[in-house]
Amino acid sequence: MSTTLEQPLVAAYGLTKHYPVGRSLRQALRGERPVLRAVDGVDLALRPGESVGLVGESGSGKTTIGRLLLKLTEPSAGQVAFEGEDLGRLSRSATLRFRQRAQLVFQNPFDALNPRFSIGRTLTEPLSNTGVPKVEHADRVAESLRHVHLGDPARVLERMPHQLSGGQLQRVVLARALVLRPRFLVADEPVSMLDVSVRAGILNLLRELRDTLGLTTLAISHDLTLVRYVCERTLVMYLGKVVEDGPTAQIIAKPAHPYTRALIRAVPRPYVDQPRDALPLHGALGDAASLATGCRLRNRCPHAFDRCAAETPPLAEIAPGHRVACHLHTT
Amino acid sequence: MTELLAVRDLAVAYANGTVHAVDGANLTLRRGGMLGLVGESGCGKTTLARALMGVLPGGARITRGEARLDGTDLVALAPAERRARLWRDLAFVPQTAMSALDPVYRLRDQMREVLCDRGGLSRAEADMRAAELFEAVGLHPRRLADYPHQFSGGMRQRAAIALALALRPKLVIADEPVTALDVIVQRQVLDTFRSLSAELGLSAIIVTHDISVVAYLCDQVAVMYAGRVVEHGPTDAVLEQPSHPYTMGLMNAFPDLESDEAVLAPIEGSPPPLSDPPPGCRFAPRCPFAEAICTREVPPPVTLAPDHWSACHRAPEAAALRQRARDPLTWRDVAEAAA
Repeated sequence: MSTTLEQPLVAAYGLTKHYPVGRSLRQALRGERPVLRAVDGVDLALRPGESVGLVGESGSGKTTIGRLLLKLTEPSAGQVAFEGEDLGRLSRSATLRFRQRAQLVFQNPFDALNPRFSIGRTLTEPLSNTGVPKVEHADRVAESLRHVHLGDPARVLERMPHQLSGGQLQRVVLARALVLRPRFLVADEPVSMLDVSVRAGILNLLRELRDTLGLTTLAISHDLTLVRYVCERTLVMYLGKVVEDGPTAQIIAKPAHPYTRALIRAVPRPYVDQPRDALPLHGALGDAASLATGCRLRNRCPHAFDRCAAETPPLAEIAPGHRVACHLHTT
Repeated sequence: MTELLAVRDLAVAYANGTVHAVDGANLTLRRGGMLGLVGESGCGKTTLARALMGVLPGGARITRGEARLDGTDLVALAPAERRARLWRDLAFVPQTAMSALDPVYRLRDQMREVLCDRGGLSRAEADMRAAELFEAVGLHPRRLADYPHQFSGGMRQRAAIALALALRPKLVIADEPVTALDVIVQRQVLDTFRSLSAELGLSAIIVTHDISVVAYLCDQVAVMYAGRVVEHGPTDAVLEQPSHPYTMGLMNAFPDLESDEAVLAPIEGSPPPLSDPPPGCRFAPRCPFAEAICTREVPPPVTLAPDHWSACHRAPEAAALRQRARDPLTWRDVAEAAA
């Protein structure tokens, strides 16, 4: 799958997360336990230094994947490996080490920070919690503030969250994730709460961190334009499955999966002269609780044929580094 | 081209008049037009929409200005008279359709309530009209028998649009009607508005933070900043030849799916506090082109083309400023000067 022999930093094998859902009386009498297949058998590998976007609509399972990769929730089946170690078998001390190396950037900066902690305390706390010697704290905090360009550290440290703007708060949230010098960063909708004029600064910052710190990042978003701007590679999810995976530029220019094609065509553009023809997809998002076999898009897909109902299409390589789960591409 | 709505110098104050969320807004909408009202959070776009609807929250009131709908000044009407005009003259589609729909009634009953009680139709007439409305927004009339929770998010939004259209209002105001929706569903709702505009000649104000939504849907756009409309004109002119520095900045800050080479330039700083706005142009502290006059005098609207104006002292030089605004460095310099 990978074009190099380098070991992936993060890898998932058959990753699955099912949540129990309410059942009808009939199902209960039959002893059935219906589940919502939030994530259903996903294989993926993130190489060191790679910035990957994970896109999909709400309910596609993208946030659940982020939580599984960070060990914030346990898989129902399959496994996640970080630096080659199975996250399900980490010792206590290894778990603590993992928690420093893999960080989450929250979606809503207004909720992510304790309103009663100064910015200085917010940034020092992770250091004390993980036993970083006190003499290093000031330097580490200053370093993380430099990374996010928060201006004069002396002035920022004493501020309280309510004294900062949304863009500044999101920089603090990023600085807090960076203060532990992580190798892996998961950013779940990192700019969705920010205004357009501020958003651009955070997107530029994410690009810069990718280039200067060599971080491996997974940006989870419903917004393809964000992923296009920040990520070299993109994974597209539909109802718990990865349906397309490849270089972002290639996916946007030549989407191979019918779902990706519709997703890209649906994005409105910031100029008047743009395509407005009907999307090549019908109906609404399916239901992840009641999925039969076969391709999950088949009822909405204009190209569906008999094989789509019979067999689940595997994620297969159609060009170097570009994989698609669609029978149109398998011969 | 006739004018349906004309808003002149409208101001809305909160908190005993100490905070003006809208402070001298000007707006026009022609009959059959779709106007995008864009701006960032806190710019006053929702307050302006609510003021037009006559549904301001407690503590807020209109302090000056007028809003003429078909010649009648809505501001001058008594509250009871204004309420009587809701649904009939103006209708509202809120951001989350759930707040427009009553969860304990079937859609048919909610339609009947508006059509019979307010519109004076008989039950049979109401049911026929309700079926037509559902078809117009792309929902199967059979779904009128359902409760709101049985609808998906996009369908709920379309049901709320159908309800707003019930009494053929002259004007529909929709507040962020697609913000909470996924992109494919968003497209379906936008297309619903487009077909209503093409087939029924719907006149609407679409309040949004998303320039792309305006570009896709609206023929006119009004850009708001800190309680005022700073630029107003045909969508293609405003987006392709922005003439207010704030609009220029917004266009630079907005990523497009295809142009990955371009570097985005944020507008440094934040909007001013509305409790203590700066004198003169409110964008001046963040503007790379501000001059001495900008911090002293409120810029009046400067007409650049028929229907296109910009409230900027340097509007006559807009073409030259536009060139400079395309360079991200232009915007970085303001940040350094401020720091």
